[in-house]
Amino acid sequence: MTTATLPHRVTPARVLRSEWHKFWTLRSTWITLIATSALTAAMGAGLGAAYDGTGEGGMDTVVFVLLGTQFAQINLGVLGILATAGEYSTGQIRATMTAVPRRLPVLWSKAAVLAAIVFPLTLLTNLVTFPLAQSFLSGTDQSAALGDSGVLRALVGNAAGLTLLAVLALGIGALVRSVPMAIGAFIGLIMIVPEVLAMLPYEIVDDAVRYFPGKALETLTTAQPLPGTASPGAALLAMVLWTTATLTLAATVLRRRDV
Amino acid sequence: MLTAHELTKRYGDRTVVTDLSFTVRPGTVTGFLGPNGAGKSTTMRMILGLDAPTRGHTTVGGRSYAAHPAPLTEVGALLEARSVHPGRTAYHHLRALAHTHGIPRARVEQVLALTGLTDVAHRRVKGFSLGMGQRLGIAAALLGDPATLILDEPVNGLDPEGVLWIRNLLKSLAAEGRTVFVSSHLMSEMALTAEHLVIIGRGRLLADTTVTDFVRDSGAGTVKVVTPQASDLVPLLTAPGVDITTDTPGTLQIRGTDAEHIGRTAAAHGIPLYELTPNAASLEEAFMDLTRDAVEYPATLEGAAA
Repeated sequence: MTTATLPHRVTPARVLRSEWHKFWTLRSTWITLIATSALTAAMGAGLGAAYDGTGEGGMDTVVFVLLGTQFAQINLGVLGILATAGEYSTGQIRATMTAVPRRLPVLWSKAAVLAAIVFPLTLLTNLVTFPLAQSFLSGTDQSAALGDSGVLRALVGNAAGLTLLAVLALGIGALVRSVPMAIGAFIGLIMIVPEVLAMLPYEIVDDAVRYFPGKALETLTTAQPLPGTASPGAALLAMVLWTTATLTLAATVLRRRDV
Repeated sequence: MLTAHELTKRYGDRTVVTDLSFTVRPGTVTGFLGPNGAGKSTTMRMILGLDAPTRGHTTVGGRSYAAHPAPLTEVGALLEARSVHPGRTAYHHLRALAHTHGIPRARVEQVLALTGLTDVAHRRVKGFSLGMGQRLGIAAALLGDPATLILDEPVNGLDPEGVLWIRNLLKSLAAEGRTVFVSSHLMSEMALTAEHLVIIGRGRLLADTTVTDFVRDSGAGTVKVVTPQASDLVPLLTAPGVDITTDTPGTLQIRGTDAEHIGRTAAAHGIPLYELTPNAASLEEAFMDLTRDAVEYPATLEGAAA
């Protein structure tokens, strides 16, 4: 970048550069990213190797191979929460907002940095995990190739869904400003609330639950959409809307509330 | 130049700052004094745009802090509460702040050297002592080479050497023509650094004055009188507002009147005086006098706060 020759002033690109720098200069970032990828790949390989060719009756092959991303959604969500709520719990936010008193560029930059790192990383992890797991699965009912219908779409869809979930968590962190409370709200939203709602005996609720972020991610991860679930396009749209709504709310709160 | 104009801050039904107006001028160190809980930190946070005033406004260099295109070059701030992620190194903390303004790496290294942190720059802030943390805060404040410095209790937690370093630093920054606004709850500290004082108590302005005028006008001075006829002199001087105490026989500490009046009274009645010594009020006493009614949790024992 040639910014050094410009006079000192805050620009969106510079705020982005600052958030990028902050992201990579914490040990927790590296640990989370490496652990998440390693866990997904290891679980994929492990499940593939242990599979005896029976029993998983009807489970979608991509969902099966990427079961490790169940952990990834929590890990990456926590990473998003640390980027925002973590600044409040450490006090860093005061330095950040003093440098960028307009505040909103900070939120957008944090979301952009997180997305720009999580998407390629999860996509790469999925593209490695799938063939790795499949190398153990040839001849079983879970056997599939990258070129099979829906497989590539599901691998990419899962990465996109994980990225949107991480950014959603980042938004929750900015709203709640407390790491433990944000983690609780995030896990509640993606894992607990849909399960509880699904128990209600109303069809309309069942329909709505399909579009909750956790459920939508499952849908995005399936190569062969199951009857009674949303279409991959609708699921992706739902996740985009959840994330956009949360970020918008976070932006409103950030602009109005005292730091 | 820094101004606060009819600044008011309410949190729910608690009013922390009330109708506070003052001006801080460049070229001198201005002390921002008040007992704990007087609203100093809140005022500073409002100047920096971290808290929004309920009413009123502040300006730095002619406009509100957030309206500056490069705020770190306008104002450098050290807040009382730590404002650093403990997991990042000092160097990377400053680099991240510098990036927002396009401040080059060389300047980061410069402020690290200036604050004596070069050797620990690549250690994580987690392991820093209070004093090192303060130095890092000051390094961050100096990063943009700002025209105005706002420092909240900068000597807190520093060893004597660090305190001396801050004092000299503040004076030299002011001598360079910068506006330096420093809060403290210790009058004695301000007496050594500041020339101008803005004193608040319970969020209200109590005094906006110079250190010299403050001592002169405070009226908290005592006159020490030594006389063999103390019992004759006391009734002659007793008047509303005059406070006479005695700890050793023949020695009076008189407050509320001046040496001239005491001397004339004694002469008129033929009372010999062995000693007549006016004590200029110590700053600390004058400050305590002024803020006595504004202390949030006054100590119940008379003099316990001294």
